[in-house]
This record gives sequence, structure tokens and C-alpha cells, in this order.
Amino acid sequence: MKNLNKILTFIAVIALVSTSCSDLEDYNENDRNISEEQLEVDFQHVGSKYKPIFESIYQYTPAWSYQLQQNLNADVYSGYMTNPRPFVAGSNNTTYALVSGWNNFIWSVPYSNVMNNVKSISELTEVEYPTLNAVALILKVEAMHRVSDVFGPIVYTNFGDLENAGTYDSQQEAYNAFFADLDTAVASLMADIDSGRFTEFDLSYGGDYTKWVRLANSLRLRLAIRISKVDSGKAKTEGEKALSQSLGVMESNDDGFYVNGTLDHPLSVIDNSWGDIRMNATMESILVGYDDPRTDSYFDTSADYEGVFKGVRNGLPLLPGYSDELAQKADYIGFSTMDASVKTSKVQLMTTAEVYFLKAEAALRGWSGAGNAQTNYEMGISTSFDQHGASGASAYLMDDVLTPMDYVDPVNSSNNASALSNETVAWNDGDDNETKLEKIITQKWIAMFPEGQEAWSEFRRTGYPKIFPVVSNQSGGTVDTDVQIRRIPFVDSELSTNAQGVSGAVSQLGGPDEAGTRLWWDTGGSNF
Amino acid sequence: MKQKLRLVFLFSFLLLSATQAFAQEKEIKGTVTSKADGLPLPGVNVIIEGTANGTQTDFDGNYILNASVGDVLVFSFLGMSATQVTVGESNTINVQLEEDAEALGEVVVTALGIKKTRKSLTYAAQDINADELNKARQTNPINSLSGKVAGVNITRSASGVGGSVKVTLRGNSSIGNNQPLYVVDGIPLSNPSAGQPADTFGDVNGGNKDSGDALSLINPDDIESLTVLKGASASALYGSAGLNGVILITTKKGKSGNFKVDFSTNLTVDSPAYMMDFNNEAQKNVDSFLDNGTTFINSITASGGTEKAQTYFSYSNTSASGVLPTNKLKQHTFNIRETAQLFDDKLNISASVMASTQNIKNRPVSGLYFNPLVGVYGFESTTESLSDYKVYEQYDAGRNIMAQRWFRATSDIEQNPYWILNRNVSDDKNQKLLTSLNLNYKFNDWFSLQARGTYDRTQLAFERKIYATTEATLAPANGRYIVQENDFTQLYGDIIGNINTNINEDITLNAVVGVSTTRSTTESFTGDSGTNGGLQFANVFAYQNFNANPSVAFTQNSYEIRGSSIFTSATLGFNDKIFVDLTARNDWTSTLPEANNSFFYPSVGVTGVLSELFDIGEKVSFAKFRASYAEVGNGFAADQINPNRSILFGGGVNSVDPIRPFPGTTPKPERQRSFEIGTEWKFMDNRFGIDLGYYNTSTINQYFAVPVSTTIVSSGVAGLNAGDILNSGIEATIFAIPIQKDDFTWTTTVNFATNKNEIKSIANDGVSGLIPTDFFTLSGKGVNTFGSYLVKGGSFGDIYAQVVRRDSNGVPIYDSGALIMNDDNTVDGLTKVGNANPDFTLGWNNSFEYKNFTVDFMVDGKFGGETMSMTEAIVEGFSNNSARETANGTVNVVDLGGSPSTLSVQDYYGSAGGRNGFTGEYMYSATNVRLAELAIGYNFNLSDNSFFKRIKASLVGNNLFFFYKDAPHDPNISLSTGNALQGVDVLGLPSSRSMGLNINLTF
Repeated sequence: MKNLNKILTFIAVIALVSTSCSDLEDYNENDRNISEEQLEVDFQHVGSKYKPIFESIYQYTPAWSYQLQQNLNADVYSGYMTNPRPFVAGSNNTTYALVSGWNNFIWSVPYSNVMNNVKSISELTEVEYPTLNAVALILKVEAMHRVSDVFGPIVYTNFGDLENAGTYDSQQEAYNAFFADLDTAVASLMADIDSGRFTEFDLSYGGDYTKWVRLANSLRLRLAIRISKVDSGKAKTEGEKALSQSLGVMESNDDGFYVNGTLDHPLSVIDNSWGDIRMNATMESILVGYDDPRTDSYFDTSADYEGVFKGVRNGLPLLPGYSDELAQKADYIGFSTMDASVKTSKVQLMTTAEVYFLKAEAALRGWSGAGNAQTNYEMGISTSFDQHGASGASAYLMDDVLTPMDYVDPVNSSNNASALSNETVAWNDGDDNETKLEKIITQKWIAMFPEGQEAWSEFRRTGYPKIFPVVSNQSGGTVDTDVQIRRIPFVDSELSTNAQGVSGAVSQLGGPDEAGTRLWWDTGGSNF
Repeated sequence: MKQKLRLVFLFSFLLLSATQAFAQEKEIKGTVTSKADGLPLPGVNVIIEGTANGTQTDFDGNYILNASVGDVLVFSFLGMSATQVTVGESNTINVQLEEDAEALGEVVVTALGIKKTRKSLTYAAQDINADELNKARQTNPINSLSGKVAGVNITRSASGVGGSVKVTLRGNSSIGNNQPLYVVDGIPLSNPSAGQPADTFGDVNGGNKDSGDALSLINPDDIESLTVLKGASASALYGSAGLNGVILITTKKGKSGNFKVDFSTNLTVDSPAYMMDFNNEAQKNVDSFLDNGTTFINSITASGGTEKAQTYFSYSNTSASGVLPTNKLKQHTFNIRETAQLFDDKLNISASVMASTQNIKNRPVSGLYFNPLVGVYGFESTTESLSDYKVYEQYDAGRNIMAQRWFRATSDIEQNPYWILNRNVSDDKNQKLLTSLNLNYKFNDWFSLQARGTYDRTQLAFERKIYATTEATLAPANGRYIVQENDFTQLYGDIIGNINTNINEDITLNAVVGVSTTRSTTESFTGDSGTNGGLQFANVFAYQNFNANPSVAFTQNSYEIRGSSIFTSATLGFNDKIFVDLTARNDWTSTLPEANNSFFYPSVGVTGVLSELFDIGEKVSFAKFRASYAEVGNGFAADQINPNRSILFGGGVNSVDPIRPFPGTTPKPERQRSFEIGTEWKFMDNRFGIDLGYYNTSTINQYFAVPVSTTIVSSGVAGLNAGDILNSGIEATIFAIPIQKDDFTWTTTVNFATNKNEIKSIANDGVSGLIPTDFFTLSGKGVNTFGSYLVKGGSFGDIYAQVVRRDSNGVPIYDSGALIMNDDNTVDGLTKVGNANPDFTLGWNNSFEYKNFTVDFMVDGKFGGETMSMTEAIVEGFSNNSARETANGTVNVVDLGGSPSTLSVQDYYGSAGGRNGFTGEYMYSATNVRLAELAIGYNFNLSDNSFFKRIKASLVGNNLFFFYKDAPHDPNISLSTGNALQGVDVLGLPSSRSMGLNINLTF
């Protein structure tokens, strides 16, 4: 029995080392992460979820994620910027050889960072704190209309719903849902307009719900104008609703929608550090052609050509005479970079100037409450000048001489191109609506810089401003060089994980899942 | 549950009772000596079989005891094989004992350290002793297994000295870990890795690194033998950890009596040998850059002791410089083991401490970031040579700093290689401590109880100092500082009762009942000033110099896994001719939800010794048949069930949800079911033999991170028990001793293995809300064009690439200045172009002994399989440095309309190349046959009174040359020893040929 005692001692030792089985699960947690219970302190379980939404509509970090989300598609297609380096030996998005690995980010960034957090906030606040839900809904509409404007049909109303998993809304259904969400948001905010509940989490308006309502109204006006050609009745109803709402749309520059992030603007990394993006030739043609005083606030003069703003033609292949991408980049990296004022930690998503141009177009379309087209057009320009601290707005407004200029590529003259438009800045009330629209959209395009997503959408809807076509079209015939790219095909991650959903979406699209297929609001017909 | 375990034990103890009767006795005397050297052996146990009566030999090896005629005396001694002698008329019985190593062929160490006779095994096990392992010594002992054991596939990592090794037994089955379990003296070894590369681009946070493994921290001289248990049947007793097979490492122990010292020294020179075909200029630059590496290993072991206590001590010291300039390794390992026998030898105590430290400077990386080879391979100039850039910095007056200097603007992936080596310096500091205590109490001749515990700690630390003016993708203006620390601790304890008895005259029973418990913790820390965050002042590498900004990372993670098990196994022997093996185990683990955290699994096996059951003639010296079936359950990694969001330094809560189980599902343990049969035959007095086996393993309910539409689960992935992966194969070992004379022996062994892998399904249908997918990503293509996916109907190791579209005659289609992509039958936009795994492997070992000379060589062949050279794609995409681009050929192409034209080779591969180009153009057969090892040894003749007992010198060579190879690189090298990046070379360090000298002294 002496031995037995020894054995029992061994068992006791082992029993001390081992644990009881019933609470095993408790060990299975990385306690360096934050649990839902821990988040509830100071209501961070709701509050902490806004920051990622704000910072992912136009993604701050990592910079390459934004580069793929927008910079190597819409920012180039809009004529704002382009890449000095012909990535993938010149076969990439910018030459219409679409790189699906890049374009996945256009889709995944908002779904993984915006939609999930909005859903979680809505579940927690819908009943108890409707104003917090309202802000989340406005942000959701802002993020997701951009996605719909790239692909067409998107998953919006069925997001995260296991019953209708992965079922797309047609673009029309999505737009209707955007308007409905804005209705909910505005109604909730109006009911408790003086509440400061959102102050602590607000990266834009310091918790001022009045400004949030103006943003919602302005966004509604933007979306209404977007569908004005395809669904003029709904457009007019929604547009007039926005214009007649008691708090109105954005009026002064401090109404503009900016995200004041805690990080540098991703363009600063892509432009300064990597040398991966430069001024677009179209931008040079229009800004320099008009001798636009805002040019200095947008771009720096070229490092290689002193005192000159120099853009790069978009859609450059690996040009003859260059052994590789880097050799070609070496010739273009010294062209104009973005100015430092574009690249602060503030990301611009909607300017007040844009809203004046929306009203100018609404006036052309005869929507009540829009006011006078010329007044709005000129207010748009001067508001934009104010925003950038540029002087000489009144002379600029009167200019009926300067027009966009021809583009010269000092390195490869084969890229030279004649100016595409001979319109001047000055408003002439005798012009027809089409000419007026070209002026409005061209000026709106200048004022929205550097937000290329909205600029590309409006280019597709109206055809303005006229943007130089790609030098090399490698779409294999799916995109017409002159008509230019109309959308991005559904992404690989969706094709492989949601084939049924995508096939439904393709039938809603009303054309092949290709980059040349027009979206619902992009009728291809006349503007009036 | 603990209550139940205690009951089991109490029952076991109640069974302890042994009484014996005594017959007429007489006094027996004798001397016990060692057969090897004839010296007397003190402390040998002499016991009358079936009783507790016995004695021990004295210091001169003499014994006296009383026994009766017909009694069986059992002579046993640690490290020696026991010998039995039946008492006859004579009153003197002298005995010679043989060392265990010689008996190794007969006794096999199996799971939990249980020794079994080879003939009773119901599954395949193959072992290798220390001599064989160290013939052509390598720094990581596991590397020496290649070609020596059928069905073991060894892939070395491309990271040079101190790198880890990928070992696959019987094919890949798991999407998680496919490495076998390493067991040291019966106890599972913690073999953690701080990470393996998974991305062709390379890790922007310090480079694609192989952080080494625990095996590279073990001194090969401490290993007495290795046993490879290939199937789940063999390893069922280890539970989930043994799912992929087990490699048992038996270490050396001290022996009583003769004090022995071994000293060995080994100097090896590595020369970079197997790389792509450059043009002359480029090759000159590459040659001027790479060095010959040297590895210098000194090792000393000492062992000895008294009959009651023995000591083993070893120390080894490795100092190596790599093929990559500035790459240096220093390693020290210590091992001390004490064994003692107390209380009339009933209690056996063994305690050991093993400690090792390893420092590596500039461990080679693969991929594009931080890889000096990018600049070396891409350097192109008509006026300068690469060595002109050994002066890698120059004064920048604007910043008053020494700035990087390169022949063109640096780009994201390309910098001056000398700058990377001197101004992007990395240091790895790894340490391992393994302490163990083993108590074994023998109650009587049929029952013993063993208690063991280990404390196993591995610390891996990595640091990279990145100086100002490093390329902007990798570091901001003032430089960057990265520190990663991982601390892995494993506590293991078990109590095992061993029963060895005869049920009746015909039936023997060997049984084991035990409990074990394991607790593993991982603490990790990352401090990184980041690509955007940055340092306040240039080139000061300290945390307090970090900018206070959310781009800076300070991240801690802490994981713990606890598990307990109860297990039993029984082997019933019938007349020593038929054996039936049964095991059962139940595991409890913290990694599964409570509802599913307990799981049970059994195994059953049978073997029949045909040569004893039937009369099959004189020529057959041994024949047996074996069959077994086993199930093994498996838990998960830590923190998979309900992970919380992480916090970003200065950046709030992570916006992306962690991977969680698919909504509405409850994870359950993974299962593996395996079946194997085999037969073993020996002929002509054991001079010729064959072992042939077939196995079939299916792994189901693996916990996959299944890609899910981001519109359903926003992170785009969800955990789900899914999948069915089937491996089946044949293994054969043939050995022969064609010549066996007094002064000349030739032994030859051929190991053959083939494995077929089939992915029968990936995701389960019928999960509400889940749209079933038929593929799973191991290495995603990201922004490059290599991918590794598990696709329903495909196999593990399938390689996917971007492929050029071809017309019906196979002519590439080139239109509007670009090659056109194939978009038929693609996964994630890529086309399947091959598989990284061989169809079959063949290893041929030969050993010749002629007088004092020994010659050993091994030919290692892998047949079938494909490999991609992204290295070549990148070189051709970024430069014209490849030999064929300089050779001025043409390639025929057609446009989309079908009209033909020709392109220069330079333009064609300029279009196809690049990291994101048409990687399908860079596929090669992975078939290769190489002279893997050659060792020529000489044993010096020594006089009996020499100070030395043995002197042996050998010349050794590894990876000497290829008889056949198609790929530009060595296809036996892998960028990762994980599952990703198999079959692709992305600027991995060229594999080397090594030659060396090895001297062993025993005194």
C-alpha cells in the first residue's frame, strides 16, 4: 500500500497540472482582443463601428487597397489622373485589360468594412437610438451608390440575409432603396435634430445633425440627377423632395462632406512615395487651357519641365522603345504630381460646389425649387474657388476666349492629341441646353477633383467633359475606344462564391457582363 | 471526468497482486560482459523469470543467486537487449549482452515510447539509426530522411542554413497542418513556427520568411534512432496531433561502466548550383554576388556512470556563413540527461534538459520584397557591373545623409542588393528549452506505472532595421523598425500503466492504460513603425522613436490550448504468431465548442507471422501480413470558435470581422479514417527482403475557412466543417545484401512510394444560406498570377497560372500588342497547369564496407509533378537578362482574327513575363533524379592501448548533381514549409551543392 500512496501522489501532481473539462472553452480566447462586453463601456459597441465606415468609403489604409479600390479605375477613367508606369507590361485596367485581382477591392472594401458595420449599428440602434441609425444609413447610401455606379446591380436589400443569400438588387431597385433609406434617415434626424448623441463618433460634422440632413438632401439630389434620363418621373419627385426639405441642401463650404481621418490621404503615399499616379492629360488640357487659378491647388508643376503642368495620356501600353515598365516610368515620373493640399488627412467626398452644379442641371430640367441655372453655375464656380482659396473667380466666370488646349507629350509625340472641346467658361443664356450642360458638368468635374468615382459616373451619364480616349485598347473588342469604358464586370470573388447571385445580376444588367455594357442610368440617349 | 480517471486507476491498482511459490534451489554464479568490447558489465539485473527474485552484477560483472533447474534467468541492462538463459546442470552461467542498437531491427519503439517486437506490428513503421542518419550530416537532421524511408516526402526550405523542413507522410490531407508530429522519447515535441510565407509578392512587413522549426534546434548527435510511423493506425495513441503520422526520436542516454567520449567535427562548403539560365553578363553579375557558404559543426558527447546512476552530456556548436553574403548562423546546443535506478531498481528515474540558442543574421527571404536577388537578377547595364554598386550609398547634401545608390530609380521590389544586405538588416534569435522528467515504477514483473512531464519552450524573435532612403513601399523617409517575438510554451504530463502478462499458455497481453494532459500557450508581439507611420529621427531603431500615429503597429496576441485525454491499447499475442492490436482514445479540447469538445476514436489491427503459421520453406526466413484500420479525431487551432475583433494601435477597433463559424453552424472535430494492409518477407537468412504496403486515408469534416460571398458574410470567409480529401498509395522497401564477406559487404535498399490525392468535396451542400463553393484558396493570386487552390475533383498541390489563349493549333494569340488570356475553365481567373507533388518517388541507398573503408551513396528520384519558375518570369519581365532573350529567336503568334505573325523572343517573353504576367509560360516538369548523398569513410586501425577507441574520417557530399532535371531551379526546394506556395520558385535562394569533411573521435 506504500506504493499505492506514491501513485496517488503522481495522480495528484498531474491533476494539478490538468484542468477540469467543463470550462475548457474559456481558455479558447485571445484576451488581447476586445469582446462585445468590453466594447459596451462608453457605448463603443456602437460608436467604434463608425470610424471604419467613414474611413472605408474611400479607403484610407492600406494605401494600395485604395489604389485598387478606386485609383487605378475611376480616378483614371474620369480623366483626373493616370499611372506613369504601364503596370503588367501595359496590359491593365487603364488599357481595358481588366485585372480582376485589382477590381476585387472595389467590391470587397465596402462590403467588408461598411455594410457589416452599418448592419451591426442598425441592429443595435434602430429602435432605441434612431438618430445613430440615421447617420449609418446616410453613410451606407454614400458608400454603396458608388459601388452600384461601378457594377450596376449590387446586393443591398438582401445583405447578410440568409433567406435570400446573395440575391442582387437591380440598379433601379438599389436606387429606390437608397432613396428609401434617406427618407428614414431624414425623418429620424428631424425628430431629434438638436441631439448631440453622435458628437463623439463623428469624423465629419462634429455631431451637427442639421449638416447631416443637408448631406442627406444633397445626396438625394445627386442620385435624382443621376437617374434623370432613365426615370425622369422618379428623378423629379426625389429631386424636388431634396430641394424642398426644410433644412435644404449644402450651401456654404462648411456644409461639404469630408472625412477627417486620423491618417494621411492615401494619395499621398501612392503619389509621393510610390510615384504611381500623375496628372492626366485631360486635366492638363482643360485646366491649363482655361488658365484655371485652381490648378496650383490641385497639382504641382512638372519636375522635368520647369514651370509647366504636364499630364500623362491615359491608357498607355508598354510603348515601343522601352525594354520594361520601369524604363517607361522613368520618363513619366517627372510629370505633375498632386499638390500637397489635396493630400491632407481630409478626404473629400461631396463638395458644396457640386450641389450648386446639381441645382444648375435641375434648373435646366425644370425642377421646382432649383432656382436659376446661371446663378447656380456661377455659385458653383465661386464656391469651388473659395474652397481652394483661389482668387480671380469673377474674371474666370466672364472668360469667353480660353478653351481646352491641345495635349503635347514631350517624351513620345505619338501620344499628342488635339483638344476635344472648344467651349469656354462664360455662361451664355442663349446657348442650347446641351451646351449649357457641357459647361455645368465640365465645371462640376473640375470642382469635384480628386473624387474620381463621381466624376467618372457623371462622364458616363452625360458624356462630359470630353476625355481623351485610351492610347491602347486591350479589351479584346468588349469596349469601344471612343465610347470608353462603361462599367467593371462582376468580380472574381463573387463569380466563385455567388455564381447564382451573379447570374441573376447579369440578367438584370440587360447585357453581357462586360466592361462595355451600359448601366441602367447610362441610357446612351440624348441628355434632354 | 477527473473522477472517472481516478476510478480507472484505482481499479488498475486493485489488480496488483502477485504471489509466487518456490521450488528446490541451487547457487548459480557467472560473469556478464559486453559483447561489443568484452568488458565486464556492472549493475546488470538478473531476475528469475516470473518472480521478483533477482540480483545485480557487482563492479566486475559477477553475480550469484539461487535458482532451480528449469528456471529462466533474465539478464537485463539499460541500453542492452535482454538475454534469457534456462538454468541447466551447470552452476556457472556467463552471459554476453549486446547493445540495443544492434537489436533495433527487432524491437521497435512505438507510440508513447512503448517498445514492441517488429513482428507484432500491425502497421508500417520504418526506422533509421544514428549512424545512417549522420553519414552525410546536415544541420537539420530531418533533411537526412529524404529517400531513406518510403512514403516520406522531404522538401527543404529555400532559406538556407537554419531553415525548416516540410515533411509529408503519405501525402497532404489537411488544409491546416500537414507536418507529422515529432515525439522525443515518448513525449510530443512542440514544433511551432512563427510563420511561413504564403504570398508570391512577399511580405511587406519584413519579407517572406521561414522562421525555422524546432528540429533545426536539435543536435543530430543526440539522436540514437528515428522511427517513422506513417499512418494513423500507428499514431492513434497520440490522438489528433498524430493525424499526419509521427516521427519518433529516441535520444541517447548514459550507460553505466565505460565512460565514453565522442568528438566529431564537420566542415561543409556549399556552392550555389541550381539557378535559371542567364546570359553571360547577367551570370557574371550573379556569380560575383553569391558566395560559397561554409558550415562548421563541432560536437562533443560524453556518457558513463555507475550501476545506479548514468549521465549523458553533449554540446555542439555550429557556425555557418550562407551562400547569400552576410548571412550568418551561430548555434549552440546543450543536452544533459541523468538516469538512475532506485529502490532495488524498481524505480527508474530519468531527467533531461536540452537547451539551444540560434542566431541568424540576414536569413534569406523569398518573394519580391526585401529580396536582394531581385536587384541581382535584374541588374542591366552596358557600362557598369553589379560589383560597382558594392558602394551602396552616397552623400545626399539635401538631407545630410548617406542615401541609397542604384543604377536606376529603386522601385517597390527592386533596390540595391548590397543596400538590402547592409541597410535592411535582419536578425533572428531563437531559443529552445526542453526539460523532462520520467518516473517508472515496476511493481512486479507484469505491471509498471510511469509518470512523465515535460516543459517545452520555444522563443523565436525577429528584428529588421530598415534605414532611411530605403524604397518607399517598404519604409517611410526616416526608415523603419520591425520586431516580432513569439513565445511558445507547452506543458505535457501523462501517467501510464503498463501490463505485460500471459493470459494462458498461448495468449500474451500487452496493455496500456493512461491519461495525459497538455497545455500550450502562445504569446506573440509585433512592434512595427510601419510603411506609413515612420520614425521621428532617421536611423534610430527604438520604440520610443516611433511616430505616435495609427499606422504604427503594436500588437499582442495570446492563445492557449488545453486538452486532456484518456487512452488505452491492448496487444493480444496468440502463440507469438498472430497479434491483435486494439486502441481507444477520448480527447477533450478547449478549441471546440462545449457541445462537441469531447470525442472518441478507436483503431484495430491484426498481424500474422506467416513464416511461423505455415511451413513455407527454408528459403523464406520471415514472412508476415498486417492490416489495420484507425480513426482519429482532431481539434482546431486556438480562438477559432468565437474570435473577437482586434484593436489597432491608435486606430480603434478593426473594421473587418474575424473569421467566425458560418452563421447557424456549430463546429465539430475533424475526422480521419485510414486503412492499411501490408506484407513483409525476408529470404536467404535475411539477406534479401521486401516490405510492401497499401493505404487509404480519408480526411473529412475539416474546418475550412470557406470563401463566402462578402454579401453574406462580410469578411468573405467563414469557418465550416467541410471537405473530403482522399489519399491512397503504395509503399515498398526492398533491401538486399548482395555481398557479405569478411572484408567486403554491400547493402542496398530501394524505397518506393506513390500517393494519389483526390479532393472529393470542399464545401457541404445543404447549409442554410451558404452558396456551395467548389474551391478553397491556399495561396491566392493577389495581384500576381500564381495560385494554389483546392478544387473539387483536383488534388492537393495543384498549381494555377495565367495562361495564354491559343488557337486550335496551339499557337499563342497575340493581339493589339498584348498576349490574350485564356478564360476557359478558370478558378479565380487562373488555369490549372500542373501539380507540385510527384507521381512517385524512388530512393536508392547503397552502403559498401571494404576493410576499413565505407562508401555510402544515395540516389533520390522524384518522378512526375510540375513546378513554376516565377523567377524566370520576373527576370524576363523586368530585364533582358535571360539567356533565351539574348539569343534572338522568334515565336509564331496569331491575332484574334487568325492572321499569323512572328514576335522576337525578347518581345514574346517581355509580354509573357513579370510577376503578374503569363506564368503558364514558365511551367516545367518537376521530375528529377539526383545524387543526394555520397560519403566515403575510413576507420583508422588503432592499437589496443591507444588513447582513442575509434577514429573515423569521412568525405561527404550532399545534393551533388542531377542525373536529370528539367526546371531551372531545384524542385526539391520550397519557399514555404506550410501548405502555400508549393511548386513555385519566386526568387528563392538557389539550392546549393555541398561537400565536406567529417571526423569522429571516440576516446
